[in-house]
Amino acid sequence: MLSSARRWFPNGEWVLLLVCAVEIVFFSAVAPNFLTLGNFFEITRFSVELGLLAVALTPVIVAGGIDLSVGSMMGLAAVSFGSAYQTWHLPLPLAAACAVLVGCVGGAVNALLIARLKLPALIVTLGTYSLFRGVAEGITRGAVNYTGFPSSFLFLGQGYLGGVIPAQLPLFVLIVAAYVVLLHRSVIGRALYAIGFSPEGARYAALPVVRRVALVYFLSGLTASVSALIYVAHLGQARSDAGAGYELDAITAVVLGGTSVFGGRGTMAGTLLGLFALVSLQTGMHLAAWPAELTGVLTGVLLIATIAADRHIRRAGPARTVEREDVEVKNSQVAVLCGAMFAAALIVAGTNVWLIRTVRDGARQSDGPASPAALRRITIAVMPKAKGDPYFVSCRAGAEEAARELGVDLLWDGPTSLDAAKQNELVENWITRKVDAIAVAVENRAGISTVLRKARARGIPVVTWDADAEPDARDFFVNQATAEGIANALTDEASRLLHGKGEFAIITGALSAANQNEWIAFIKQRLEHSHPGLKLVTIRPSDDDRDKAFAETQTLLKVYPSVKLMMAISAPAVPGAAEAVRQAGRTDVNVIGLSLPNINKPYVHDGVVQTVVLWNTRDLGYLAVYASALVAQHRLASGAHGLEAGRLGTIEVRDTQIILGAPMLFNKSNIDRFDF
Amino acid sequence: MASTDRATSHAREWSVASAIAALTLVLAVAAPGYFSWENLSDLLLANLPVLLVAIGMTLVIITGEIDISVGSMFAVCAVASGILAKTGVPIWIAGAAACLLGTAFGSLNGALVAYLGIPSIVVTLATMTALRDGLRWATEGAWVQDLPSSFQWLGLTQGQYPLVATIAAGLITAAFALGLRHLAAGRAVYATGSNPLAARLAGLDPSAIRTSVFAILGALTGLAAVLNAARFNQIPTNGGIGLEMKVIASVVVGGASVTGGTGSVLGTVLGVVLLAAIGPALTFLGVSAYWERAIQGAVILVAIAADGIRRPSFRRLAGVETGARA
Repeated sequence: MLSSARRWFPNGEWVLLLVCAVEIVFFSAVAPNFLTLGNFFEITRFSVELGLLAVALTPVIVAGGIDLSVGSMMGLAAVSFGSAYQTWHLPLPLAAACAVLVGCVGGAVNALLIARLKLPALIVTLGTYSLFRGVAEGITRGAVNYTGFPSSFLFLGQGYLGGVIPAQLPLFVLIVAAYVVLLHRSVIGRALYAIGFSPEGARYAALPVVRRVALVYFLSGLTASVSALIYVAHLGQARSDAGAGYELDAITAVVLGGTSVFGGRGTMAGTLLGLFALVSLQTGMHLAAWPAELTGVLTGVLLIATIAADRHIRRAGPARTVEREDVEVKNSQVAVLCGAMFAAALIVAGTNVWLIRTVRDGARQSDGPASPAALRRITIAVMPKAKGDPYFVSCRAGAEEAARELGVDLLWDGPTSLDAAKQNELVENWITRKVDAIAVAVENRAGISTVLRKARARGIPVVTWDADAEPDARDFFVNQATAEGIANALTDEASRLLHGKGEFAIITGALSAANQNEWIAFIKQRLEHSHPGLKLVTIRPSDDDRDKAFAETQTLLKVYPSVKLMMAISAPAVPGAAEAVRQAGRTDVNVIGLSLPNINKPYVHDGVVQTVVLWNTRDLGYLAVYASALVAQHRLASGAHGLEAGRLGTIEVRDTQIILGAPMLFNKSNIDRFDF
Repeated sequence: MASTDRATSHAREWSVASAIAALTLVLAVAAPGYFSWENLSDLLLANLPVLLVAIGMTLVIITGEIDISVGSMFAVCAVASGILAKTGVPIWIAGAAACLLGTAFGSLNGALVAYLGIPSIVVTLATMTALRDGLRWATEGAWVQDLPSSFQWLGLTQGQYPLVATIAAGLITAAFALGLRHLAAGRAVYATGSNPLAARLAGLDPSAIRTSVFAILGALTGLAAVLNAARFNQIPTNGGIGLEMKVIASVVVGGASVTGGTGSVLGTVLGVVLLAAIGPALTFLGVSAYWERAIQGAVILVAIAADGIRRPSFRRLAGVETGARA
């Protein structure tokens, strides 16, 4: 029996199989609706884009190389596809061909540098990682977001075949099959293992090393571009940030699957298992409503534990010899089995503690005054754009306050950084989990609407807040302030401080940030119409990093000495810009921006920052939960003109928009009254 | 072999130096404002942390390993020093604690690589995710605020601090440059990187050396985090994102080979200078921010490709082979 396991999984993938089994058993116990066919298909849907990258990376890594540029290649291919379709008005198949061609060219560049010029793959693809993403940003100027693809194309990423099977699954299976044949059933595949094992030996064995190595990088570019097409179809938009960070997840999946980063070892089955272990971990965490950050920590632990177990076996057994079917294998297997059992025992013990605690909590709650109602507490799932962002952290405080007042369960989860694909994934998970209402701060309007419509079709009310989805994809939108309102407030404030005349510069978030780009467009419009005396000299990115905003501002102050006002429109950028102005001693330069009061208090009091524009984020979170709860309890339906929102009093409802009010200006006189 | 290695690594240092010279020339003609004292000192101060991490990374890369967790480590150490400083302990203890914390993380990475035999890219990929998400989980994104007033500039004035920090970083750089070249411990790092098996037969302990270079990188990352945090009066929890890429690019442009055995502190310093200079230079030259990343990627590729074209490919292949077997 052991020998057959060896034959089927020559790389100890069964360790991973065990991990998958433990995950499935564990999450089915803890997370509602984890073990359903629907969820299985949803899991495969999220995994396709990532899976394609992982599958393409497997032969690369088997051949002893690495390709860090696949995620960036996705961005470039997505943008090429979008611009070919929208700007050059090519028919859809031709546009897709264009994207694939770009993928081939990108792959060929890697192949040329690595195979032909014999440069280390890590460095070459580190370079093309910047290059591809950079070109994508350059083409779109960071801002262009191609949408409006025909529904026949979107079906590829969003539709179901026969009502159940995600449309992208057959394509994925096809590509995987092709790769399996290439790697495991062809002469080329054997050559790749030989090259990974020893490139020089392979050369002496008369294998065409250069051509084979070139092939894998070429294919990886090609597959990344196909993955980009599916990504675009899935999210309904092509942006330069498509696939950002996917390379690391893909490498994690491949390595988890037992492929050695030193080359010469690894299987496609292992990669698929690794992918499955990774994705079901993430989905399970979402369904169990555990914090998304924990996923990263657990992924790290899982990665090290799996590889360490695998290494341990390998070291215990004879290295790189043909395994015989006898006791020496068994020893190590027993060791791993014991390890896995121990880990499983730990997990079970952990859950027991957790279960007991929840039961006890539940008991305590049902002792409370509202005991009959408490038995049917409703759960409201609220998603910020990014969890770690101080802005959304302050929204959360309000959301929790409202949940306490209303006696509902709040499920607060979201991507750890801006990531439209993750948002979709989470909503799908919530639908599977059957929450009572969903409130989303939308990162990507076109991308999330399909899945929100699906939620509504399943009878789950949907509220959007902070940023809206398509109007028919949600019941209500909690509107804190329009992009135009923000832009006007900022521009008018700049004009007031500069007395209607002078130069200013903008520090934005990431160059591709949708919100910021919308504000910038309205700022330019406002300048043209109302403040012709003001001149916007340049826009610099801060990538939402305080230190980068600081450095950019330092440079700007020297390059444009005539700039008298810095307008920072990303929360961490305002203190960054302010510190740079203060350290330069430029008391003649004003700093204003869109940010949170707390992190700017020192600068506002020192007179470095004149004005911070924002709405009350705490109230925004409060109102989002209040509105969601009312809709879920059928106490708020379309056609209403107002709602009673606890401490906020009566809030105006205009059509399907719940209006929080105009943006606020924080300055020296009022900033201390706010704490968020 | 050793002599060719040394010759080629010097060649890289020359080519990076000439790239810097060319950039200097262009700037001198097109944007002389770049060479103002304020700009240079600002650039220097902003990049001292990068330099320190890059020196540690040079050691790690010379041993044929890599560490992509430095960005996350950087953020964790900065936040830790801030939290400690808020409890009222003296600033220098908070700083030392951050360095110790960095050393601990580095040793953990190193031990997993050296004693469990897990590839360094896998280990540090795991610790990168785990530390970053762990920090997000623990702080929920809230910045460390209300630091004691002595935290900014580490109790010095804004005028003194750059001088002290520069001298400290300069001393550390010089110590590593000389130590790597002339001390037995330094040569042992090269020996481990070029051929661990031979190093072991020669009486060295490659596992201990690997663990220590990771520990040193951790300590330097902790120090860099403190030096960087001290320039501000609050500490964001998302610091250091992308630092690993910046640092690895600098080291590699400076001539260290990721397959181990080659590289020098001088090359790394030049690499840091080139990459640090180029970003602001593009602003001074009026290049739009949208193309900056593409240009930076292209510069890295050209610097490396130039080297690849010059080298005889067979020797490269052999070099790759030794590294890969390590």
